Amino acid sequence: MTRHILAAALALTPLAALSAPSTGQIVQEHILPRFEALTETADILAQAAQDDCQPASAPLRAAYHDAFDAWISASHLRFGPTEVDDRAFALAFWPDSRGATPRVLSGLIAAEDPVAMDPEDYAEVSIAGRGFYALEALLFDDRFTGDDHAEYRCTLVQTITADIAQLSADIEQDWRDDYAEVITTPGPDAPYRSDEEALQELLRALSQGLQLTHDSRLGRPLGSFDQPRPMRAEARRSERSARHVRLSLAALRDLALYLAAEDDALAQRLGEQFDTALARLDALADPTFAGVADPQTRLKIEVLQQDVNAIRDTVQQELGPTLGVAAGFNALDGD
Amino acid sequence: MPIRPIALTAVALALATPAFAATPEEVLDTYADIAAANYADSLTTAQTLQTAVEALIADPSAETMNAARAAWLAARVPYQQTEVFRFGNAIVDDWEGKVNAWPLDEGLIDYVDASYGGPSDENALAALNVIANPTFILSGEEIDATTITPTLLEETLQEADGIEANVATGYHAIEFLLWGQDLNGHAPGAGDRPWTDYATGDDCTNGNCDRRADYLSAATDLLISDLDDMAQAWAEGGEARAELMADTDAGLSAILTGMGSLSYGETAGERMRLGVMLNDPEEEHSCFADNTHNDHYYNGVGIQNVYLGEYIRADGSLVSGPSLSDLVAETDAALDAEMQSKLKDAVMALSRIKHAAEAGFAYDQMLERGNDAGEALIMGGVNGLIDQTRSIERVIAALNLDGTAIEGSDSLDAPDAVFQ
Repeated sequence: MTRHILAAALALTPLAALSAPSTGQIVQEHILPRFEALTETADILAQAAQDDCQPASAPLRAAYHDAFDAWISASHLRFGPTEVDDRAFALAFWPDSRGATPRVLSGLIAAEDPVAMDPEDYAEVSIAGRGFYALEALLFDDRFTGDDHAEYRCTLVQTITADIAQLSADIEQDWRDDYAEVITTPGPDAPYRSDEEALQELLRALSQGLQLTHDSRLGRPLGSFDQPRPMRAEARRSERSARHVRLSLAALRDLALYLAAEDDALAQRLGEQFDTALARLDALADPTFAGVADPQTRLKIEVLQQDVNAIRDTVQQELGPTLGVAAGFNALDGD
Repeated sequence: MPIRPIALTAVALALATPAFAATPEEVLDTYADIAAANYADSLTTAQTLQTAVEALIADPSAETMNAARAAWLAARVPYQQTEVFRFGNAIVDDWEGKVNAWPLDEGLIDYVDASYGGPSDENALAALNVIANPTFILSGEEIDATTITPTLLEETLQEADGIEANVATGYHAIEFLLWGQDLNGHAPGAGDRPWTDYATGDDCTNGNCDRRADYLSAATDLLISDLDDMAQAWAEGGEARAELMADTDAGLSAILTGMGSLSYGETAGERMRLGVMLNDPEEEHSCFADNTHNDHYYNGVGIQNVYLGEYIRADGSLVSGPSLSDLVAETDAALDAEMQSKLKDAVMALSRIKHAAEAGFAYDQMLERGNDAGEALIMGGVNGLIDQTRSIERVIAALNLDGTAIEGSDSLDAPDAVFQ
């Protein structure tokens, strides 16, 4: 009996304990499939908008949800191809604490600005008028779904979705043509000087993704106890707030487990921490975090936020040292 | 001729002395000395501003108004260099919002143009206009603002209703009171507040000139007392200096955290790249005075100062000593050369923005949709800052500060999102 267990343990150990995280494997299994899914769903979205651009169109809304899901599942991978020509910013400008998206859209619509006639021209427009959050406003915000300028708004929906499809395709193509090799072949004169620097990039992505979910996706609607801010919940008009937390945690869990490959116990603990947070989120059953203003629901959302913080601690204090790198600076530093 | 032998001896000694290694303690000393001098300069230049503001209020005229504006611009030169001390030193980060909070919903303070709009979804107080309203309701409570005092600004109005855009104090509130809104959009030109906004009797324009003067005076007094606090915190025996020295590794890490966070998330990200991507002239850091090019430039200079251990004071004198650069050179001379050259490149890229702006190509214009030259200039600065951040990370790794770089920093432990 004992011997069997021991044998089984020995058989398993080499696989788990000796496999250092492989950047190549992460690129093939975690990164490329996500950007491929984004390109596919964004194409379907652009086609759906060509077929029917009405804000209430069921196929259009379904395609919007699918493509937005794909983006959120890839949105932590903010380096290399996503940062060329501000692609990721143009796909997803949020949080928008100064109301730039409604302001830019109102300006374009009031002037019926011809820049919206062509997706290529549209790449010049403020990032606040591009991407998924601008599209959400045009499909779900009462201010933009009435009868005024209906034809122009239809064009705008078609142009914004075409722009999303182009941005997504460009990101995937750069990954396939160039960046998959860049990040897996470090060298003294390369962008990444060593394997450690490449791993640091991935650790930074994990860390920054957790931070965004903690600070913005959960922190913004939570506000303070005296002043909860349910209107600040992400994509609340299309009821995607909790869905984004779920998708991002699932994607970050996947990445974290690849990075923790070297340390079985750590990988298991991280997996459990993510599972705890995901289970709490499901139990919450509050798609827009409207419950931040209700003391009992609020407490549950705060606990979920603490769960995410606990994962951040594990990543910073245990996963980083295990990899021999620090998460470094990220774009969310500063205030 | 006793002088020559002595001089020769000194030279001989200097040549004979091997380059002593800089110790981490000496590096921290230099850093704290630069901070002390830099905040002291921020204080004295703000005192000059205060004198000019008092003259404007006592004798309102185009001349006294311009003199106050010139004093504000001069005061920004040392202050923007201190921003490198902010991230990494919790004591500075906790204090900073009082003096340099940005961006602001300026309608909280004074009259604004109709195009500004009213209260927003995000901020019910965006158009409160305290100067025109001696009493108002805040979070359900009636506030008596008949007398405008530093306490009112600091304790009631600053971040009122828990909204960060409610900025009632600091440089940018004063900037708004001296320049007013910049209504030129993407065209050149700064805010154009008439001096008669401070005139007495019938000459007063836009109403409530006495309350406006009270506000300006209170905000300037508060700036002085806040800067004085920070200058003392870095002086010998001060709290910030003591905290820095408490743990050598954590102290070195604080220097690098400040450099990296200011370079990347703050200046390159929130202040520069976001403005280009949004094509929004209100994304200018000093949007009223059109001084944004200098804000960015002196941020870059400040980062370079602390690495090289050299700071040129407001009176032209040099503060210098054993530096982080010396320390890195002992471990990895090539990395030190890389770091120095990246810092130099970034300052050069930022100075190009400054040169163009001073020659007449306003920062507002650079932000305009389709302005490729402007975008290239700003993105040159952004890329320089991002590029140097990568080298800063290498320095952190080379000095084995990886563990402490993450912890012990307010900006890394409890950051707000970049777009807030």
